[in-house]
Amino acid sequence: MAEEPEAALPLPASGAADGEGPADVSPGTATPEPPSSAAVSPGTEEPAGDTKKKIDILLKAVGDTPIMKTKKWAVERTRTIQGLIDFIKKFLKLVASEQLFIYVNQSFAPSPDQEVGTLYECFGSDGKLVLHYCKSQAWG
Amino acid sequence: MEEDEFFGEKTFQHYCAEFIKHSQQIGDGWEWRTSKDCSDGYMCKIHFQIKNGTVVSHPGTSAHVQTCLLMEEALELPLDDSEVTEAAAATEVIKYEYHVLYSCSYQVPVLYFRASFLDGRPLSLKDIWEGVHECYKMRLQQGPWDTITQQEHPILGQPFFVLHPCKTNEFMTPVLKNSRKINRNVNYITSWLSIVGPVVGLNLPLSYARAASQNE
Repeated sequence: MAEEPEAALPLPASGAADGEGPADVSPGTATPEPPSSAAVSPGTEEPAGDTKKKIDILLKAVGDTPIMKTKKWAVERTRTIQGLIDFIKKFLKLVASEQLFIYVNQSFAPSPDQEVGTLYECFGSDGKLVLHYCKSQAWG
Repeated sequence: MEEDEFFGEKTFQHYCAEFIKHSQQIGDGWEWRTSKDCSDGYMCKIHFQIKNGTVVSHPGTSAHVQTCLLMEEALELPLDDSEVTEAAAATEVIKYEYHVLYSCSYQVPVLYFRASFLDGRPLSLKDIWEGVHECYKMRLQQGPWDTITQQEHPILGQPFFVLHPCKTNEFMTPVLKNSRKINRNVNYITSWLSIVGPVVGLNLPLSYARAASQNE
């Protein structure tokens, strides 16, 4: 059975800070087109280890949230949760005002400025980070 | 109610106790407070933030920094006012106070908060909205009065801002259902606060996520 191809996550132009400063995503930098060539794309396997710049993320839908056709993504370590949320929302064509939440351990929502690399260090296993995502209204 | 366990006040207090246990382990500053004349209680945390968003860090908190990416908040070590003023210099320091209470009518936890400058001047609702994280601003602009309102604190009787709880069940249910499927124990308060906190500048360190799943 063919393995699901790993897809690349387009990286916004802004530089990724090392833990300080505001989130690295500014509204409007991510392209609305479906991911194609973009700056980050491992077609082949990268050697595992600390030098790996990207980490593998497996996205799983929760509740009534649409399931993404591509679930496995290679993402730069410095990508923030907010960046990932924006990406998934665009990919799923959600309205900008709909909220999307991402969870680690299926139960905890990391703050929007948290970097996926850190999450991978804390919660990754078997070479990947499993994140659940859920669409909902949070308030109002 | 469905198969979800009934989230009554006792359950609320239980999860808060577990939450605070972990908070104490990592020095995150949450406390339990009760009012003198009734058994109701709530969780409370105070933190200070420099208004222009400068990172403030203190010695001895490196463990916390590792788990918490954006250190906008000054950890609430016992600062005396002069120390804070020095750090502030030409900028403003804001004191944020967060309270987690139980709502009998909605049967869910509710986040109350207020913010003031060090001289006691409270922040306006407009200031609060400006402080809301970028990724929630769109939703907030669409229905500001549905989202953050000002109400009297049920126990203290003072005006606080409140994150409206009416949709809490809606976003908590899928999370709880999902983790119950795999028999993972979830601390409701931890999950809930991790979701709503960032809207108003309250970010939980990642270690809470591990602690919640370890509690049997």
